Amino acid sequence: MELLLVFRLSDEWFGLEVDDLQEIVESPELNFVPRAPDWILGAINFHGNIVPVLDLSSFMELGDNAYGERAVVLPVGQKALALGVTAIHRIVPLDPDLMLPCQREEQKGLHIRMLYNYDGKMINMLDLPSLLSSLETL
Amino acid sequence: MRVEITYKFIMGFIFVVASIVILNLVVPMLGIAEVWQQLVSTGGAILVGLVLGSLFSKAFTGNIKILNAAAERISQGDLSQTIELKESTFPDETADLADSLNLVNENLKELVGRVRDASVKVSDSAQGLSATSQEMTASSHELSNTVEQISRGAEVQAETVEKSSRLIKEMAINTELVASSSKKVADAVDITAQTAQGGGEKSQQTMQRMMQILQDVERSGEQVVNFGSQLGKIGKIVEVINGIAQKTNLLALNATIEAARAGEYGRGFAVVAEEIRKLADSTTDSAEEITGLISQVQDEGQNVEVSLRNNIQEMDEGRKAINETNKAFEEIIETAVNTQTKAKSIAELSQKQIEGANKMVDAIEEISQVVSDNAAATEEGSAATEEQSAAMSEMAQSAQELATYAETLAENVKRFHLGNDFPVV
Repeated sequence: MELLLVFRLSDEWFGLEVDDLQEIVESPELNFVPRAPDWILGAINFHGNIVPVLDLSSFMELGDNAYGERAVVLPVGQKALALGVTAIHRIVPLDPDLMLPCQREEQKGLHIRMLYNYDGKMINMLDLPSLLSSLETL
Repeated sequence: MRVEITYKFIMGFIFVVASIVILNLVVPMLGIAEVWQQLVSTGGAILVGLVLGSLFSKAFTGNIKILNAAAERISQGDLSQTIELKESTFPDETADLADSLNLVNENLKELVGRVRDASVKVSDSAQGLSATSQEMTASSHELSNTVEQISRGAEVQAETVEKSSRLIKEMAINTELVASSSKKVADAVDITAQTAQGGGEKSQQTMQRMMQILQDVERSGEQVVNFGSQLGKIGKIVEVINGIAQKTNLLALNATIEAARAGEYGRGFAVVAEEIRKLADSTTDSAEEITGLISQVQDEGQNVEVSLRNNIQEMDEGRKAINETNKAFEEIIETAVNTQTKAKSIAELSQKQIEGANKMVDAIEEISQVVSDNAAATEEGSAATEEQSAAMSEMAQSAQELATYAETLAENVKRFHLGNDFPVV
């Protein structure tokens, strides 16, 4: 059974499959990254690796200064990146039947794949490949 | 040459006898018949006797008549003339009698003149006396009136003195009242001073208690602050617990992730991780509850602190008020002491006044005595002046009577004619 990490960006609920992430860290202090773009908050030392932290709320234009000292580190195999979020909610089981499609065109720039109806709460499923590719293009 | 009547008679007899003898001798010589001779001699003797007798008796009775007339005149009261007898070669006892009568006349004249003068003078004097006594009566009447006025005045004076005495006695009584009142005031002030002293002590005790309470309140404040800081410590601990819970939560999440990655093998671990997460959640909830409670308690503690601060402020004000009360009590005590001194001096002064008033009463009683003596004396004087007045009246009457007598006397004396030497007044 798939598990889903539910987190918050500003006031919006987002979800990310547990398989797509390495670890959740608490990082109140971030290391300064020189010449980094505005949406890079800084970097953390993740088990000896320097991992930049993306201000996801700001990047997705949901609200500035919404970093809640929690970062979701992506798997080591991929590009070294941590997503700074406002708050981590919990890990919930994912029922594919409760997935709802969403209008991709309307969600452009938001990197939302689908919507997941969890306990009456609509959770935006983060489109990680879209996000990463949009990061690549910048 | 004085010849007594006896000798004159003798001489007359001698002449008659001699003439008869001579005739007897002469006649025979004349040549007359003898028959006639006896007759002629007898006739001649009778003639000679008649002539001589008539001469003698005329000379004799003339003087007697004059004397008789003079005596008659004197007895009639006419003293104006002196007795003058006919010039005689041989004055006799009638001349003596005339001299005596003249002397009597003279003396009587002088006496009557004197009596008349005296009676006039007495009359004058009596009239003067009468006038004087009338004046004196009038004067004594005036005196009597004056004395009566004095008596009335003395009565008024006596009344006034009595009134004064009464007033002074009343004043003395009032002064005694003042003295007793001022004594009462002094006593009351004493009580006031004592009460104020007690009040001052009590306010000082209250002050001390207030200070104690203030210290207690300050201590309570400190305790509240301590409590607050300890709550803060608890809060920090709770924060730490919260942090631990969150970290545990994170760890549980990561454990879940790891367990998911481990697949079937990690299923049990995932359950444990879930349990841990739940524990961490409930820990977080409890910690939040504790934090809420702490903040509530802290809020209340702050309220307590504020109210304590208010209390302290109020107590400060209370302390000020008590200080002022204390000061007021001190002022009251001071005032009371002053008042006491003044009341005592008033009491002393009024005591002196009472003594003075008593002396005044004594003096006034003496005055009253003197005044009543005066009144009695004036009454006596009045009686005396009345008696005097009566006596004066009597005297005036007597003087009148005396004047009447003098007039009567003068009237009686008037019938004596004294001649031009003593003009009738």
